[in-house]
Amino acid sequence: MSKEENINKNWSKDFPIEKQQAINVSRRDFAKFLTLVSGGLMVGSGLVAVKGHLYPKEEVKGEHFVCNKEEVPLGGTRAFVIEGSTIPYILIHLESGEFKAYEQKCTHLSCSVFYKPGTGIIHCPCHEGNFNAKTGDVISGPPPRPLPMLDVFFKGSAVYVKAVEETVG
Amino acid sequence: MSNFRRGQNQSNPNKLNVILSTLIFILILNVTVQIWLLYAALNNALENNKEILIPAFVASLVLFLVGFGLLYYLPTGNKRQ
Repeated sequence: MSKEENINKNWSKDFPIEKQQAINVSRRDFAKFLTLVSGGLMVGSGLVAVKGHLYPKEEVKGEHFVCNKEEVPLGGTRAFVIEGSTIPYILIHLESGEFKAYEQKCTHLSCSVFYKPGTGIIHCPCHEGNFNAKTGDVISGPPPRPLPMLDVFFKGSAVYVKAVEETVG
Repeated sequence: MSNFRRGQNQSNPNKLNVILSTLIFILILNVTVQIWLLYAALNNALENNKEILIPAFVASLVLFLVGFGLLYYLPTGNKRQ
């Protein structure tokens, strides 16, 4: 028996699965797999909800000294860390004379952002995200949320920060 | 005794084909909505808005249960009986 003949004669014995059945099986498995993915997403949503309610993000407590006003020139910035935390912040002395403090982590993928002097823009070099230095709002780029802000206030010439008080109403 | 499963399996392959395609279509739709829900919940959790987290989870759970329940209607293929 030639090889050709052998294949023609015996292949259906070796693979006793009809084509239609094989197609059906794979689509069935695909549907089951989709349900598995659906279950995974459901569990993920559950974890997010649990994390959000049981382990909320720690708020900055109390007032923290950063530096003296004279140490940050107009258009200059200063990086600082609050005691007992590892989150990096930047203090910005805007050209308008205001002081602003933001988290230095981009809300997109946590790259370090920096202030572009003279433009009023906080820039993230990783994916060209831009934030408004006055409000922390996103101007352009991929970041989904504004930069978290701290309230800046002064005692004499000393610059202090504290958590933003939520305005009621 | 005939039941739904046997009745369905005896129907025309074209019909089974349509049923299977429809199921997969609905499941993909469910998964898409769930991805959107997870994305929205995550963004809101990071922004400290907690009101949306539980409803998003419940919606996701309902969609999963719907998809899971639909598997009952999955044709079992052309089995000769």
